[in-house]
Amino acid sequence: MKIFRVLVWAAVALAGAAGLSAIAFERGEPLNATWFVIAAACTYLVAYRFYSAFISAKVLALDATRATPAERLDDGRDYVPTNKWVLLGHHFAAIAGPGPLVGPTLAAQFGYLPGTLWLIIGAVLGGCVQDFVILFCSMRRDGKSLGQMAREEVSRRGGFIAQIAVLAIMIILLAVVGLVVVNALKASPWGMFTLAMTIPIAMLMGLYLRYWRPGRVLEASAIGVSLVLLDVVAGQWVAGAPSWARIFSLSAPALAVGLIIYGFAASALPVWLLLAPRDYLSAFIKAGAVFALAGGILLVRPIVQMPALSRFADGTGPVFAGKIFPFCFITIACGAVSGFHALVSSGTTPKMIMRETHARLVGYGAMLMESFVGVMAMVAACALQPGVYFAMNSPPAIVGGTVESAAQTISGWGYSLAPQTMTDLAHMVGEQTLLNRTGGAPSLAVGMAQIFSHTIGGPHLMALWYHFAIMFEALFILTVLDAGTRVGRFMVQDMLGHISKPLGRTGSYGGILFSSALITGAWGYFLYQGVLDPLGGINSLWPLFGIANQLLAAVALVVATTILLKMGKRKYLWVTLGPAVALVTVTMTASYEKIFSADPRLGFLSAANQMAARIASGVVPSEKVAEIGRQVFNQRLDAAVTAALALMVLVLVVEALFEWVRIWNIAMPPVLHEAPYVKTQWAEGD
Amino acid sequence: MRRVIYSAKFRSRQIWWALRQIFGDAAYENYLRSIRRNEILGAKITAPLSRDEFYLDSLQRRYSKINRCC
Repeated sequence: MKIFRVLVWAAVALAGAAGLSAIAFERGEPLNATWFVIAAACTYLVAYRFYSAFISAKVLALDATRATPAERLDDGRDYVPTNKWVLLGHHFAAIAGPGPLVGPTLAAQFGYLPGTLWLIIGAVLGGCVQDFVILFCSMRRDGKSLGQMAREEVSRRGGFIAQIAVLAIMIILLAVVGLVVVNALKASPWGMFTLAMTIPIAMLMGLYLRYWRPGRVLEASAIGVSLVLLDVVAGQWVAGAPSWARIFSLSAPALAVGLIIYGFAASALPVWLLLAPRDYLSAFIKAGAVFALAGGILLVRPIVQMPALSRFADGTGPVFAGKIFPFCFITIACGAVSGFHALVSSGTTPKMIMRETHARLVGYGAMLMESFVGVMAMVAACALQPGVYFAMNSPPAIVGGTVESAAQTISGWGYSLAPQTMTDLAHMVGEQTLLNRTGGAPSLAVGMAQIFSHTIGGPHLMALWYHFAIMFEALFILTVLDAGTRVGRFMVQDMLGHISKPLGRTGSYGGILFSSALITGAWGYFLYQGVLDPLGGINSLWPLFGIANQLLAAVALVVATTILLKMGKRKYLWVTLGPAVALVTVTMTASYEKIFSADPRLGFLSAANQMAARIASGVVPSEKVAEIGRQVFNQRLDAAVTAALALMVLVLVVEALFEWVRIWNIAMPPVLHEAPYVKTQWAEGD
Repeated sequence: MRRVIYSAKFRSRQIWWALRQIFGDAAYENYLRSIRRNEILGAKITAPLSRDEFYLDSLQRRYSKINRCC
């Protein structure tokens, strides 16, 4: 029996190696997407079976006899013992946002190889480890947050830094996901109508759940999902009626203002009316779309058209500037390593784990699933003709604003594109144009629509599938936007409470409105700046978001390393220290380049200086001076934000280093702030 | 045939149970079960929330802290 098991695992490992070799060693032959699925799935299986088992047994020494917080503090509200498979579903739904879809789509500009390898290897050795270890640490501390653990285990300053980093990342995250929605829906009456209608649908669900059938989420969601699907179909009729199409065709600045007003309303309105029902709706559509994409890829087995390495590996990419190192590693955060996950892993999930040993499946397993979503997004983006991909994801400042200019520029890069291809494709998906739709969402939607229409409906249903995919991505993002704005409001109120007690009261209307305006104004400012950016906004905001997110991951891994050291696991420090060092190196290099690079497309300061010099030399027309002046300020602000984030993390790393040296040199056991051991009262076994 | 029908029924009940757990339909029943369990263990007894109150309370708790990633 043992030999049989060895043979099976050897076969899985060999299949994984074959998959990785097939995608890594390009032979100029068409590459089938099945190889991506084989490489990813087999690597995940081997990593889960062996590496996560090693971490469970040797590094963390998970103890099935130790009562978890869910058992000891069970109150049926926060602390709820939950079946491990159900908790896996909860945790996966919580960590999988738009990041693993958008990040890989943007990173496809380097070719399929760097992003795919980072998604698979980064997740197995970094992201899954971070999620798993932080979940374990929080579980051993009755569900304490990352900030609390940093304060207790590293230093008081460490806790404060983690809190500020969380607020900063939240503001940038909300701005960048808002920008993705704006670029996907500008001048798109079908998409705009579909998304706008989800607001009354969510409100109807909210009323149903509040007054008619309290807490019956499945019933309300079934009604909501049916209405949303009808809404996608109805969008076609709206787009076909010129008087209605005019109403729903919004420019990018108008959409940005609309989103800012929406974010404010969602933050200030009662949570049951809009936020919670939208979240339920989004969860259902998300699960359906992700499974449909996985099934579609397996059935259609599309041919990957993007080369393994594109010419933009040299840092001159039109989607965003910068070389593979470090920019591929910060562009793909969710899907490989994401600091934000550490907040979820030290939030609700540790309070729901029934048995310590379940942390392996929930922490490590859920992240593997998210990584797989990222690989599927990469496949969908790379299945597009490269010329089409670059035409959709490049700003007008680089490829021009007409299909002719875009086709000429992109063909000059070596990726053939006929102007008619873009016109036909836009017509096929029911849009006026697909040119300059930066942000990744529309190109992913075209990729998904191609896969779906090959499975069901053929080219006739391409438009419907495209708008279904756009609705899915936008719905998903709006959920992040409203939930994030609300949480940000609570964080702001928490801080304001130190200055003025009434402003800190979460029940006072004055406090709610003031703090909602503050947080919405903060991300709204960055969003509007992105919308007006001639390079499309994604070029500056997505790297900023990636840097903030990966810096938070570095903070989480530094906290985890400190805890392992205090647990006496010196021999196994490399498990968290390795990814921590890699992330600190990546993010510090990226921060340095984004601030100081002499290339104005890459460096914030050189871009600001170049624009300031143009104003000073008088070549800028007088009516444009104020606008360019604002862009100069925005570039300098982005540089200051990047520098502040990098500096905060450096302070934390230095503090942690002092703590590590102190622990290493003293004979006395260090203080570990774990909850005391209590034997479980539950029967043995899972 | 009877075995097949029985097995299909059993599986669909399992799927329904999992769906209710994952999407939060069963949260109120779980809460009442937890209150009963704590009563048996001799914890201080508090009057349980009504279904309405529990629903609103759970939403307030869930959406006042980070519960979603990017």
